[in-house]
Amino acid sequence: MTEVVADPRPLAAVLSSAVAIVLIIASHRRPNVRESWSVLAALAKFGIIASMLPGVLDGTEYRWSMGSLVAGTPAEGIEFALRADPLGMLFALLASLLWVFTAFYATGYMRGLDEKAQTRFFAAFAASLSTAVGVAFAENLLTIFVFYELLSVATYPLVAHDEDEEARAAGRKYLAYTFFGGGVLVLAGTAMVFVLTGTTTFGETGAALANADPALARATFALLATGFGVKAGLMPLHSWLPDAMVAPTPVSGLLHAVAVVKSGVFGITRLVLDVYGPGVVGDFGLGLPLAAVAAFTLTAASVIALRQDRLKRRLAYSTVSQLSYIVLGLAILGPTAIKGGLLHIPAHAFMKLTLFFCAGIIHVETHTDYISEMDGIGKRMPLTMAAFAVAAAGMAGIPLIAGFVSKWFLLIGAVEANQAVFAVVLLVSGILNIAYFWPIVYGAFFESHDAADDKPVVEGPLGGQPGDTSVVADGGDHAGQHPPDEHADDHASAHHGGPGPGGWDRVSWTGEEGSWLMLGPILAIAAGAVVLGVIPYEVGFLELIELVVAEVAG
Amino acid sequence: MSETLLPGLLIVVPLLGSTLSLGLGLLRDRIGWWVAAGVLTVEAALASWLAYAIYVGGDRIVHVLGGDTFGRKAVTVDGETTEFIVGIELVGDALAGVVVLLVAAVSLAVLAYSRRAGPRGAAFYTVYLIMTGGLMGVVLTGDLFNLFVFLEIVGLATYALVSTGRGAESAVAALKYLVVGTTGASMYLIGVGYVFLETGALNMVDVSRSLSGDPPWFDGALYTEPLVVAGFGFVAVGLATKSAIFPLHTWQPDAYAEAPDAVTVYISALASTSAAYAFARITWTVFTPAFFEVNTRVLQAVMILAGGSVILGSLLAVMQRRVKRLFAYSSVAQFGLIFLGICTAVHPAAGESAVRFAVYGTVVHLLGHAVIKGGLFASVGTLAAGEGARRIREYAGLAARRPFAAGALAVLGLSLVGVPPSIGFVGKWYIGVGAVGADLWPVVAVIFGSTVLSLLYMARLLEKLYVSPAVEVTAEPTPRDAVVADGGRRVSYGMAAIGVAAAVVAVGLGFAGAELASLLDPIVEAVLESSPEVGG
Repeated sequence: MTEVVADPRPLAAVLSSAVAIVLIIASHRRPNVRESWSVLAALAKFGIIASMLPGVLDGTEYRWSMGSLVAGTPAEGIEFALRADPLGMLFALLASLLWVFTAFYATGYMRGLDEKAQTRFFAAFAASLSTAVGVAFAENLLTIFVFYELLSVATYPLVAHDEDEEARAAGRKYLAYTFFGGGVLVLAGTAMVFVLTGTTTFGETGAALANADPALARATFALLATGFGVKAGLMPLHSWLPDAMVAPTPVSGLLHAVAVVKSGVFGITRLVLDVYGPGVVGDFGLGLPLAAVAAFTLTAASVIALRQDRLKRRLAYSTVSQLSYIVLGLAILGPTAIKGGLLHIPAHAFMKLTLFFCAGIIHVETHTDYISEMDGIGKRMPLTMAAFAVAAAGMAGIPLIAGFVSKWFLLIGAVEANQAVFAVVLLVSGILNIAYFWPIVYGAFFESHDAADDKPVVEGPLGGQPGDTSVVADGGDHAGQHPPDEHADDHASAHHGGPGPGGWDRVSWTGEEGSWLMLGPILAIAAGAVVLGVIPYEVGFLELIELVVAEVAG
Repeated sequence: MSETLLPGLLIVVPLLGSTLSLGLGLLRDRIGWWVAAGVLTVEAALASWLAYAIYVGGDRIVHVLGGDTFGRKAVTVDGETTEFIVGIELVGDALAGVVVLLVAAVSLAVLAYSRRAGPRGAAFYTVYLIMTGGLMGVVLTGDLFNLFVFLEIVGLATYALVSTGRGAESAVAALKYLVVGTTGASMYLIGVGYVFLETGALNMVDVSRSLSGDPPWFDGALYTEPLVVAGFGFVAVGLATKSAIFPLHTWQPDAYAEAPDAVTVYISALASTSAAYAFARITWTVFTPAFFEVNTRVLQAVMILAGGSVILGSLLAVMQRRVKRLFAYSSVAQFGLIFLGICTAVHPAAGESAVRFAVYGTVVHLLGHAVIKGGLFASVGTLAAGEGARRIREYAGLAARRPFAAGALAVLGLSLVGVPPSIGFVGKWYIGVGAVGADLWPVVAVIFGSTVLSLLYMARLLEKLYVSPAVEVTAEPTPRDAVVADGGRRVSYGMAAIGVAAAVVAVGLGFAGAELASLLDPIVEAVLESSPEVGG
């Protein structure tokens, strides 16, 4: 049914932002020219990818090979090849579409804060998008590994952007985790797949793996799943992600909620659907352990998120949790669950990007990073907080927003596959989502800076407050009594966030709260999240996903 | 002129050139560079010609030294006739060809570096050309004893080059290298002596045939003879010393760190490489997999040493404060990987495809490491000459001031870690696939784990270069930093260009992994058949 056509467009999609790197660096003296290269590259990339969409929906796959990367069998090597198939299109379309908005937003953000090393920032950003699209279109495990590693390298300067001790430490952690996942585990797993099957091309390895030594096949799956799981934030290998939030917010938004983390999820998708195939994964009994890890991650991360006072860290733990929705959907192995999991890739991307962009504009306009300082901020940032509320509701799975549709399929899929326990996990997680997002929205609109309720979960000690403080006089030291707010000291020194002495200024709902360079993208993406929730069948993503599921099931 | 002369010319031309450099140097001291440049250009042309004949023509080019008196002669024993060599054979085959090209290219490239960075003077270039001739000899000789001679020529030349640094530390480092290096060479010689006692031959092909019991005067294979097994042990220890495998590496960090920067580039790219090449040739084509099928224990011992070298070399590298020592220890780790590849290729558990990939990986990583490490040391030297930075903490923020040297360092460093697409990745991939195919799981763990191990020290350096605030370099230029001290002659385009060129080559070869590997198929066939002759 599918027809493979030689076409250089997948390569052009990868290279369009790679070319932009050179142009961005070359025009480092003229910021306006430099930023227009970013925008142009984003539009070009999206245009090239979108131009392939009708063909892919009609069952055509565009493929371009750049020759053998390394020798394989004596006859032919492992090709360095890109192929735009429905699954790859899903990820590439999403990343390139959101980059268009992010390019504008990043300009407003970096200028609003007068950041240093902006040329390096925009160059590395373009490089990251190149490699993310490369991950999407990679035709075999080795090609995906090439881009996966380059993605780690390209995003390192963005994580360590601030060049202070905290950023450098986060950068070190980031490199250590991602290279352990990529260069050690994924590469070893790829080598195992190659030795076991003689090829690494997606879709051609399943049969050979099914007949391979079960112990080796399981070990290979574990290596690859763990390797990709590092970037996907699967516990216990997630801890680089909250630390990486030290990066500028456009990075946290597009890369650490969409492109980078989803390249890990995408790797797991390829692994389950194309390298092994759901049937083989089920036969080896590998779905359940993966689902268990994902279920644990999505619950535990939500609980941890409850106690984060720093908005971006709370969002990061929310990301860890939501990524595991996708992994869970894949691991349940039923067609509906897979559909739900895959649909959660764009759904989560739209919603989480909105949330991060809101956090970013709040930081730029008011220098507020902590939720405990955001009471009443709805007066100052009405449109922003409205978008935030919409996206947060979507996260929790409220109908008419993107998150509901994907979660619906996940729930149905879990029940369909007779694994209703995971449906319960999903529902519990939905409640936790409300528990950690609602206080922000409530505080922003219905409280004010001087009359806010206590926030015992965030500010109290872990495990609750003893009724009488004298109880601890029995030799326990008082240090444990203090709220574990590591940022308590930051407030006084470098950080000037929060409302002023007179509370938040009131700003009208007509967009005077910040630069339209940032506000525009926020509203556009929030609208996208709603569109995805109201008419999921009309926007392309679900059609692509149904093609993927049909191919896997049939 | 026939192609069979090429192996001889490749050795003779630099050796003759060195006398020219010495003689003309009496008239004008600065003429040494020009002589070397001329000689090495000719050498590069000859090397290209030889490579063309080997890879395009598909020949195995044999040159017997000394004319018609010598060569393959018929020997008749008990009515059976077999042919044995009289004299010394030089062999240009698929294994030698790529290394000949590497030696010629690096020798020429380092000249571009040393033009400005020094050391200057005809005496230096005399020794430099002698070393080039010696390296070509190591690569091309087909005779075990002759290999010892060339190893010693390379060794002596290296001692002299290391000691051209101006400080007392260089002299000490050279002395240490001399003692350890000569001990290693002696070990090798003892091993060759043992094998000679048993087989009566020194030519590699003849020794290999004798070991397999091919000539009629042997009752059967000699693989279990104690002298032969001990001989391999001595040869392995000797060449491991020369390649700086842990714990026989002690000479190497001092030699690399104290030598003048141009010399470090040269010896880091070629000295250990030539010894590891010799070990590969002897293991693959002289002892052959048939020997290791009987003596697997011996092979395992070498693999344990090599694996330890990967882990401990990386850990020692992490502990260093000076950049040159850091990269020196990194070489200890990388040669561990190469030795693992060499051993995997002859391991009895390796099937056909495992042998194939282990051979590919070994040769590709041997070449790749030479390019990467040479380029890294060139960039390090450029930063030292331009900014006076020799310690890691002095590298803070240098990327902004020296974008090209820092960029080359970053690309080459990531390539060393094994980030694709680069030659460092290709080599590691092949060796890893070979080890997986041979079911050698501890080796697999070491090979893939080495990514993180090498990241430990590379990430530290790159973080300093790119995202640490600049600090004022406080260290006064020591007498060793003569280039800085003698005013004006700091960084030339040539110096920076070597690092950048190495980075381009490292990435470019990363895309040519399959083509590079296809050149090596004759070696794979020879190893698979336990044949002493590669190609032809």
